Amino acid sequence: MSSAVATGQRVKRVRMDVRVLGIALVIAAAVGYLMYTGLEGTAASYFVTVGELQERSIEVDGRRVRVGGEVVPGSIVYGGPGEPIHFQISDGSAVLEVTYSGVLPDIFTDGRYVIVEGLYRASGSITADTVLTQCPSRFEATPQAATNATG
Amino acid sequence: MAQLGSGALILALILAVYGIGASIVGARRRVPELLESGFRATYGIAFLITLAVFALVVSFVRHDFRLAYVAARSSRDMPLQYVISAFYGGQEGSLLFWAMVASVLGAVALYMHRHSDRLLLPYMNATLLSILTFLLLVLTVVSSPFRLLPVAPRDGAGLNPLLRDPGMMAHPPLLLAGYASFSVPFAFGMAALITGRLGSDWLRAIRRWALLSWAILGMGLLVGAWWAYHVLGWGGYWGWDPVENLALLPWLTGTAFLHSIIVQERRGMLKVWNLALLLATFALSIYGTFIVRSGILSSVHAFATSDVGHWFLVYLALVLVVGVGLLVYRLPGLQSERRIESVSSREAGFLFNNLLLTAIAFAVFWGTNFVLFSELFWGTRVSVGPPFYNQVVGPLLLVLLGLLAVGPLLSWRRTEMPLLVRHLRWPLVAGIVVTILGIVLFERAWAAVAFGVVTVATVVTLQEFWRGMAARRRMTRENVAVAAWRLLQRNNRRYGGYIVHLATLLMAVGVIASNAFQVERQFVLRPGEQGHIGPYTVVYRGLDDRRTRDAEIVSAIVDVYRGNRFAGTVESHRYFYRNYEDQPTARMGIMLVGMDDVYVVLDRWQDDGTVSLRVYINPLVIWIWVGAVVFVLGTLTLFWPQPVPAMVRVTRTLPGLAREA
Repeated sequence: MSSAVATGQRVKRVRMDVRVLGIALVIAAAVGYLMYTGLEGTAASYFVTVGELQERSIEVDGRRVRVGGEVVPGSIVYGGPGEPIHFQISDGSAVLEVTYSGVLPDIFTDGRYVIVEGLYRASGSITADTVLTQCPSRFEATPQAATNATG
Repeated sequence: MAQLGSGALILALILAVYGIGASIVGARRRVPELLESGFRATYGIAFLITLAVFALVVSFVRHDFRLAYVAARSSRDMPLQYVISAFYGGQEGSLLFWAMVASVLGAVALYMHRHSDRLLLPYMNATLLSILTFLLLVLTVVSSPFRLLPVAPRDGAGLNPLLRDPGMMAHPPLLLAGYASFSVPFAFGMAALITGRLGSDWLRAIRRWALLSWAILGMGLLVGAWWAYHVLGWGGYWGWDPVENLALLPWLTGTAFLHSIIVQERRGMLKVWNLALLLATFALSIYGTFIVRSGILSSVHAFATSDVGHWFLVYLALVLVVGVGLLVYRLPGLQSERRIESVSSREAGFLFNNLLLTAIAFAVFWGTNFVLFSELFWGTRVSVGPPFYNQVVGPLLLVLLGLLAVGPLLSWRRTEMPLLVRHLRWPLVAGIVVTILGIVLFERAWAAVAFGVVTVATVVTLQEFWRGMAARRRMTRENVAVAAWRLLQRNNRRYGGYIVHLATLLMAVGVIASNAFQVERQFVLRPGEQGHIGPYTVVYRGLDDRRTRDAEIVSAIVDVYRGNRFAGTVESHRYFYRNYEDQPTARMGIMLVGMDDVYVVLDRWQDDGTVSLRVYINPLVIWIWVGAVVFVLGTLTLFWPQPVPAMVRVTRTLPGLAREA
């Protein structure tokens, strides 16, 4: 059956509508444009560690950054309900002050690896609008809990 | 039980290797006995893996904490349903579940198609077994769920609190089953490429299986959104988190595939494209399974980092090399039988739909992996957040909805313009009215335009139903209900598809409204005090503290008034589970008032009862969940058994005919 169709086609060759190609190109161009502007705009942020951030402090001053680090134990100051939370994150050597006034993620606590995102000021602090916790073993038991259970 | 489980897995692995050999040798040397033996190997593997799953579940139910996997994920005080669902709560168990779904569905597919696609099946079987070999290798060598602890602890650690939720009992298995079940259409596709039988006869089989995987994955995504909305407490249902995105990717390419395969069936076009989409969908399923395990992307879902990631990466590379290689090798046989003649043809419409869907998939893929790309190419790690996705995907989705409005009205080859105008006239009027009303009433023009587009699409779709029913009624004089029923029954692919379109439109309304008109306020209240948000007043009554067997629950009790009318009381909870005291888990207080969700998050509290509450008004989110139900019903109608077309029936009973044709 397919061969019959193929011969039929050879006799009556229909040209492809070039407008189809045109619209396809328009779609591709629009996607490219949207992605480019999306990345140029505020949607993207530098993803750095605390140490890298402070090395390049002047370059990223006033830009959105996304910094990962561990919450310095004992540095969390909650304040009363409704007041911003202050804490510090660290990559082992450098320390960064964070101010945040949103709902904290469920597993936010001392020593937890968090990713904070917000506007960076070279004065050395960051006002975060999001705080993500990334527990390396999110869906596993915490090591501490596991030892409790075994002990 | 542990011996039974690990023994079953090792046996299954041996059978899988044997089955690949038997299928390939049997097909090349034409030994029907070997082929049959290869099929039976797959049935045996499906049984053995199910047995292993059974062994693991029994170990969970019996609290057999000698198994490391059981001890790390369950405890004696957990309710039974969570003890059972803990079985897929970790890496080993979820991979085992993956393997079970792939093997059982594969066996069912082999059995169902054993008479119809005989030349294809051996290679389909071999492909399927190669996937299973890989999984079984991982499950026996790298991360076995049946690893034993040297000393059995008295009690287990318990399941992570975030997973102790009804939504979480359904979300991971649906998602994993969705990923896993794409193995079946992929195996069919690879078999077609290997054998060079690239005609359209296998398309019917592949379409049904792809549809099944796509429906399961879609439901998994929706249940996931529902869970996030009720538990994660940022007031939304979709956060563009890397793991969510990765689950969306195969669904997007799968959606594209289900549309473009219609073009191949009807017009013999887009053959290479279809196989490429199939390959991409399976590769993205593997990628989604693997990236979750690898810890490469930072995500709220970041699972345990483990060396399983490398295995998946190597396997993914293998799949892509073999898949693309075969595709290139078979290119000469995959020429289109026809060309697209007009930009107004239905095939062109499907092509644009595909371009948009793959463009969205590409943008999401790019954004999700941007951290990796930027480090590779520019030396700085730059990540993108939700604003990027909203900016890029939002407009594309709107265009896609516009296409959904026009698409059903297009004819194959070329659409007569006057006819198109006549059918589009009233929907367009309705859309324009809605848009103008929207611009007058709301401040956000984009939302008004989006509602206008949704209106056009909805009216067009309903009009299609009405026209179909009217045509039936003129012929048969049936009443309206019978006509609607028969229409759906006789032509379920078309009208079932429209039901899924309507579900999409319902969800679109919810998504647009909740994105454009969400209101959010933070209150600090002492018991008895009240706060105002929009037309609502929330009165905080006090804190409640109670204990259950495995948790302590702190709840804020809040009365909600609309204007002066009392609407009801909501409680917003925080759960402190034993062993997870530093990870309080929230359950939002959500109340539906009219079409608005009043969404109360308990943020922090003090001993004197002062709380900080975050309150959201999320309009029309209920439409998303209604849309989800319609989506399920719509996809069910797509599985309605249909009579086999005469042409296919003949080739089935007379296999020689197929070869000559």
